[in-house]
Amino acid sequence: MEALLNNKLFFIHNSQSLRGRNMGSHGSLPLTIVFIASLATAFFFIYGLIGWNVLLSFTKSMGLITSYELTGLTQYVKAGSDPVFQISLKNNLMLIVLFIPGSIGLGLLLAVLLDLVGGRGETLYRTIYLLPFSLSFVTTASMWAWMYNYSYGVVNTLLTALLGRALQVNWLGDPNIALYSVILALIWQFSGYTALVFLAGIKSIPESQINAARIDGASAFQLYTRIVIPQLKPWILSAFVVLMVFALKAFDFIYVLTNGGPGVSTYVLALLMFRRAFFETDFPYGAALATILFTMVISVVVPYLLLSSRKGEK
Amino acid sequence: MLNKASLATYIVLTILAFTYLLPFWSVLTTALKSDVEVRMTIPIVPPSNPTTMPLLKALELMKQGLLNSLLFTSFATILSSIIGSVNGFMLSKVKFKHADAVFLALSVGIFIPYHAVIIPLITVTSKTGVYNSILGMTIVHTTYGIPICTLFFKNFFDELPESILNAARIDGASDFTIYRRIALPLSWPAFIITGVFQFTSIWNDFLFGVVLTKGSNQPASVVLANLLGTTAAEWNVQMAGTFIYALPVVTVYLLLGKYLIRGYLAGAIKG
Repeated sequence: MEALLNNKLFFIHNSQSLRGRNMGSHGSLPLTIVFIASLATAFFFIYGLIGWNVLLSFTKSMGLITSYELTGLTQYVKAGSDPVFQISLKNNLMLIVLFIPGSIGLGLLLAVLLDLVGGRGETLYRTIYLLPFSLSFVTTASMWAWMYNYSYGVVNTLLTALLGRALQVNWLGDPNIALYSVILALIWQFSGYTALVFLAGIKSIPESQINAARIDGASAFQLYTRIVIPQLKPWILSAFVVLMVFALKAFDFIYVLTNGGPGVSTYVLALLMFRRAFFETDFPYGAALATILFTMVISVVVPYLLLSSRKGEK
Repeated sequence: MLNKASLATYIVLTILAFTYLLPFWSVLTTALKSDVEVRMTIPIVPPSNPTTMPLLKALELMKQGLLNSLLFTSFATILSSIIGSVNGFMLSKVKFKHADAVFLALSVGIFIPYHAVIIPLITVTSKTGVYNSILGMTIVHTTYGIPICTLFFKNFFDELPESILNAARIDGASDFTIYRRIALPLSWPAFIITGVFQFTSIWNDFLFGVVLTKGSNQPASVVLANLLGTTAAEWNVQMAGTFIYALPVVTVYLLLGKYLIRGYLAGAIKG
């Protein structure tokens, strides 16, 4: 009996060696099959198809019957001389420059206000602010198409009522304004998410630090600007990466709300790719645009993933 | 943390809350108005004579799309959750060589723009005969859901103490038995987190639906987007359709929001 007990203890102390066994060695065949089959499928659908897409971008063929006739960088040269490509890139840049700081700034404000309230109030208001983020871009685009409607929309009606005189802005019809309307609505949809992330960050700061600062006579404003917000850096970075990826690959919302218009004023890279590939059936050019998009996203995501996995090991 | 909220804080939060809810309110009021009233009144004002006509009309236009979405969303949610649970268990509890590298390579799949696979995906689904079908949509959504579902379950199993499993290992239980008898029953919170996350994101998808389906096989998202293009003048029907399409997600959000939030934060916590 005693020997058995010792034996048990021995095994518990050597849990590391139990963990270290090779998979499949101990009756885990059903798990191994699901694991390998699903990973093989996922890797084929992710890396296999991305590779296929890159290959396609070096070919020339019209329609879906692909004759893999290599043409080198022709499709990429085409992008360089496509004026809409430059407009699209510029609009993606506008999203990066306006949508990201807007969402992070408003998210920080909301997070601090929510934290100040605390308790049930915090939960209630947070639920309201996060609601848009849970919705489909098709839903929110449809909502904002109505909000921005020139004659009957809420935005113009409210502005007129508030200012006491007719003020009609052509939010989606004026090529100089449409992109800003898109960005404003996107900040509405994403700021609840950034607030959620920052609020989680605030909650992770030890109470003792806050109390120490309070004893030292710091005001609420100083507490947030000197103690809380500087410690949110990793949370701001992670929200930044999510927003950056979105700013690069934004598609559904713009496709439904403006479809790139008026003219080509709200085109973004993903929308241009979609139209060139599926409206003009220029698949190799679409594939080249998709490859450019993918390269941009991956150059943000991979360093971030490497950084966070290294942190996890420490 | 501070609990020093002044009246001003509440006033600012309330004004912001009304602003955030304004688009929802205008969807509701417009969806309940007749064609005439939509043009005669401003959208913030509630309908004087509420009518269900726009809702019935939108439901009629969208019912096939809603059914399609419900089918492949349910199938793909269940399948990807089960696969994610097995993969998360394998990567967390049955350690093997290069597990971290495999996980990292899989994690990239969470962020990739699907535009980078969509053209070859048409060929793949066509060649295998699942293009323009519920089965095809199920397969595609399940497969691209594997990375995030694996992440959710790996995170969950990483928190599960080894000691719980070791007792069973000493008794000679196989990994499969440990998974089925211990890990699986304990992982119901991970199933809810993964389930609500997958359900909402697959229901919300647009790109796969618009490229891989046509006509009567289109999901609700594509049908609604098409509605906006064709019946732009009938704003009450458009808003009714928006309401109906958003309803399942809003319901999930209001009932299981705390699990959905944990899903949203899963990526951020890693940072």
